[in-house]
Amino acid sequence: MWVYIIRRVLYNIPVFLAIVLLVMVLLRNQDPVPGLLGKNATQQEYDSKRHELGLDRSLLVQYGALLTEIVTFNFDREMWTQSGMTVGEQLRSAIPTSLALTLPALALTTLISICIGMLSAFARGRWLDKTLVFFAVLGMSISFLVYIIFGQYFGSYQLGRLLGRPIFAIHGYEMGWQNWAYYLLLPVLISVIVAMGYDTRFYRAVMVEETQKDYITTARAKGASDRKIMFVHMLRNAMIPIITRIMITLPFLVTGSILLETFFGIPGMGNVLLTAILNNDFPVVEVFAAIFAGMFIVSIILTDVLYALFDPRVRLQ
Amino acid sequence: MISRPISSRLRRLLNTREMRKLRRDKGALCALLVIGCYLLIALAVMSNLISRQDCTQVIGSNGMPGFFLEESRERRFENARTSMLKPVLRALGHPDPKAALADVKLGRWRVAEKSLDELQQITDDAVALRLILNESENLDEEPQFEARLVEFERKTADLIKPLSGWDNFMQNAALLLGTDAQGRSIFFRGVYSIKVAIQIGVVTAIVSVLIGAVLGAAAGYWGGWVDSLIVWLYTTFSSIPNLVLLVVIAYAFTDSDAKDTLLPVYIAFCSTFWIGTCRVIRGETLKLKEQEYIQAAQTAGFGSWRILFRHVLPNTSHLMLINFSLLLIGAIKSEVILSFLGLGVKSQPSWGVMIRDAGNNGDVMTGFFWQIGTATAFMFVLVLAFNILSDALQDAFDPKHL
Repeated sequence: MWVYIIRRVLYNIPVFLAIVLLVMVLLRNQDPVPGLLGKNATQQEYDSKRHELGLDRSLLVQYGALLTEIVTFNFDREMWTQSGMTVGEQLRSAIPTSLALTLPALALTTLISICIGMLSAFARGRWLDKTLVFFAVLGMSISFLVYIIFGQYFGSYQLGRLLGRPIFAIHGYEMGWQNWAYYLLLPVLISVIVAMGYDTRFYRAVMVEETQKDYITTARAKGASDRKIMFVHMLRNAMIPIITRIMITLPFLVTGSILLETFFGIPGMGNVLLTAILNNDFPVVEVFAAIFAGMFIVSIILTDVLYALFDPRVRLQ
Repeated sequence: MISRPISSRLRRLLNTREMRKLRRDKGALCALLVIGCYLLIALAVMSNLISRQDCTQVIGSNGMPGFFLEESRERRFENARTSMLKPVLRALGHPDPKAALADVKLGRWRVAEKSLDELQQITDDAVALRLILNESENLDEEPQFEARLVEFERKTADLIKPLSGWDNFMQNAALLLGTDAQGRSIFFRGVYSIKVAIQIGVVTAIVSVLIGAVLGAAAGYWGGWVDSLIVWLYTTFSSIPNLVLLVVIAYAFTDSDAKDTLLPVYIAFCSTFWIGTCRVIRGETLKLKEQEYIQAAQTAGFGSWRILFRHVLPNTSHLMLINFSLLLIGAIKSEVILSFLGLGVKSQPSWGVMIRDAGNNGDVMTGFFWQIGTATAFMFVLVLAFNILSDALQDAFDPKHL
């Protein structure tokens, strides 16, 4: 197994290098210096700023410098658009904020969707299943933005007016878990509603696949109750696709949600990333892309390893 | 190979087991009908039935509700005050009033063909009424307010030259769903966006499916270093969060010449959307490669390009169709998000632009739902139809799909 893991890691190094390069090249279509200095600066000031930021070096040298930074976990470069704040500090404050939003959202979505998916699969073809599937498709056909706009309007604004005091914040964020429900519960609920359509359908398909297998027939034949078949036999066997899906989603949690965070003014990773891209703050985007890519690759390898642990039939080669 | 006439080929195609299954699916047929209607509307828009100008010109006062709903007295007063009276007053004060009046327009409305004196008389009356109305403090308790308001509205309407036939119809259609914060027709903007959405959806879906299919089939069929290279390529692209990649690519174009076209949107979508198709088609090709007919073709000495394009790819066409439908939905929904971030469609209306405007102008916060409602409703019906169609396609052609 260790041989397998090491081989996979080696195999993914070119992927990692390519991601970092791709992000660098894409970002460098824009010149950050005029934005940083304003339009009235002289050419000389531009040049010295460029030199200060290291943008006058060739792309390969910059690439090498960035890779050294990443490999040595040295994220102490100052952000370009916020003086006095290092990239590492920014990420350390933004990523937990995003996780406070996305982790509960993922947990809730997965739990609810698995339950609904199972229910739907078990009632397959009957009206309950049809209604659930129909609502899932309906939910999937509405834009994320509309959910957010209406969620914010009814959830924070109208509900707050109705009760005379704000239950959910319209905009803004404060650290600390005692503030969590006030600032983040509504965004979490919105993202659960948005994701539920897709997840329900996925888990339903997984469960339907399982219900057609022979072991279910065997369990039925030996007289196991519906409940036992559903929770013991089916759920256990459906664990593999479920784990895969969760594992694949895990790295995406650190990116937060660009839309939710900008709408509710939450200083999470999505918000930071969008601002950094739009203001040409290269270091933040580059370092974050590298960290994310690393996590993504690790999670893929880990998924395969987990496969082998959960299912003795799977051989890693 | 014996070549058959196209009509008989088409009949055979429509009579395959999968097609029969699809034709029995009522939901799918309804969805197809809806999609057909949208396509027709898109074609009509393209043939300039609704021009870009129709969507950008001011057709009335700001934020009018749709369906010609009765508004509050304050709003009615405001509407009548700003709509025709204001431009006519301005034109009459111009050194050359005749020419200035000829330029006044509000959508398809023009100034009534009356002499300058008559117009002057009407505006004088209207201004006098406006002064009285302005002074009324408590609108609901003033007994004569309603009568005066109606009189004022009639006066301002007298300034408008009555329309007939097509122009009248179009002007009423323009006002059907109200106006946005800049006084532009919400209905026309919503309809025009159908064309934009279909254009973006079809172009990106076709290009992404083609790229994905060719790369996927090549990777699966040839294997070896080609496979490694293509797998490496799509792993790389999928290791960057989708939305981040979209934003970075779209933003890279903000200073280029193409920034006002749809090109940045196309490129951003195509560079992320091909991955899924590529992965699926590669898997299918790996399966197909082991089939006898491919081996027969190889034995017959056909070149590998020919086998790839004539034998492998056509047999993955059902997957391409499903992916096309799914990517189309993805493109339409992502367009809204990109446009909201200010990186998507520019210089023409789109549902994303409308939703963004509704959010930014505080439409929603003031309870004005016409703009966001229109964009959402138009988009919802189209995306729902495609969702139903994709499901039906998947059921018919790829039932084992997870």
